[in-house]
Amino acid sequence: MNNKVKAWLEDGTIDVFLGYKEVDHHPLPYCFTKERLDEVDDLLLSPARYSLEKIATHMTDEEPDIKIGMLARDCNSRALNVLYLWNQLNPDNVRTVNVNCCPSRLKEHGDCSYLEPETVGAYKRRVGVDNNLALKDVEAYDETERLDRWMYEFQKCIKCYGCRNICPVCFCKECSLEHDELVRTGPLLPDVPVFHMVRAVHMAGRCIDCGLCEAACPMDIPLRLLYQKVNQIVMDLFDYKTGTSVEQPPFSILGDTVTLEPKPIEPLKVINNE
Amino acid sequence: MTVKRITFLQELLGLLGLGGRLGLSWISSAEAQKFVQVVTDFTQKIKSLGPNPLSAFPEKRKAAAAGLLLEQSSVMPA
Repeated sequence: MNNKVKAWLEDGTIDVFLGYKEVDHHPLPYCFTKERLDEVDDLLLSPARYSLEKIATHMTDEEPDIKIGMLARDCNSRALNVLYLWNQLNPDNVRTVNVNCCPSRLKEHGDCSYLEPETVGAYKRRVGVDNNLALKDVEAYDETERLDRWMYEFQKCIKCYGCRNICPVCFCKECSLEHDELVRTGPLLPDVPVFHMVRAVHMAGRCIDCGLCEAACPMDIPLRLLYQKVNQIVMDLFDYKTGTSVEQPPFSILGDTVTLEPKPIEPLKVINNE
Repeated sequence: MTVKRITFLQELLGLLGLGGRLGLSWISSAEAQKFVQVVTDFTQKIKSLGPNPLSAFPEKRKAAAAGLLLEQSSVMPA
């Protein structure tokens, strides 16, 4: 694999390669370049993961014609599909090296930090939502209990925007979560559950179920579970499988433009016949 | 579009346990009877569901925090 990446960098197939390198014993996302070719030998395969495609999007923002190579697990590939659909990346400018991901019947070897989810504590299991539950287990709670449990989770939120910042498919220039008329910015704490609901609605047709939001969340809110519900609704209601192909149109239920400016009301013209 | 959007929201609110509190109906300005019917039905439905459970949360949160403190103090040696 290293030789392939080196060859690509040398012959100009790609300008940069996004992968991981161990820095001070931490596997960190790293950008390999032609100028420092011998560094490619340190290219690391490990369970560590990061939204490399988000870095690619930022790079493309700065330099639209840059050719990018990157390591891609299945979740990265799904995110790339969404980004291609939304014109954030050009598929001609991206080359991927596919690496192992979640184990399945086809792939027995798995290599992802999500494979061994952390177990949750007793208190959270009793009053909150266990991150490792399946959607149907959450829905089995009765209505009041469900609300109590979700609200316990949401109320922990410290509004760090970590879920949005790590999200590979959050690329909007203007974010509703920082729109003062939708979700108040600045003062802690966020409006619950409005903050999380707004984000959940915006994840419709975007979320590729990578679980990075949940991994990034310092308060351990089961966000992946919430967005799995979003994906399930999108699937049931619109028959749309997010991120599975680039043949489908981009998905939007939000409408094209949102203007929240009050429109001036024209004063009634009083017709005076006298 | 609207019907899908609202159905989406209904489902999502359902996950939180706030189901049944969002409704959508098309009523022409010529359908006064229907308007009255829809509004009456929905009002009754909302009334039977009771007040917005979210408004109770600041109190619940305090109670939960107090409960947690009690729990910890009972675990910790005095």
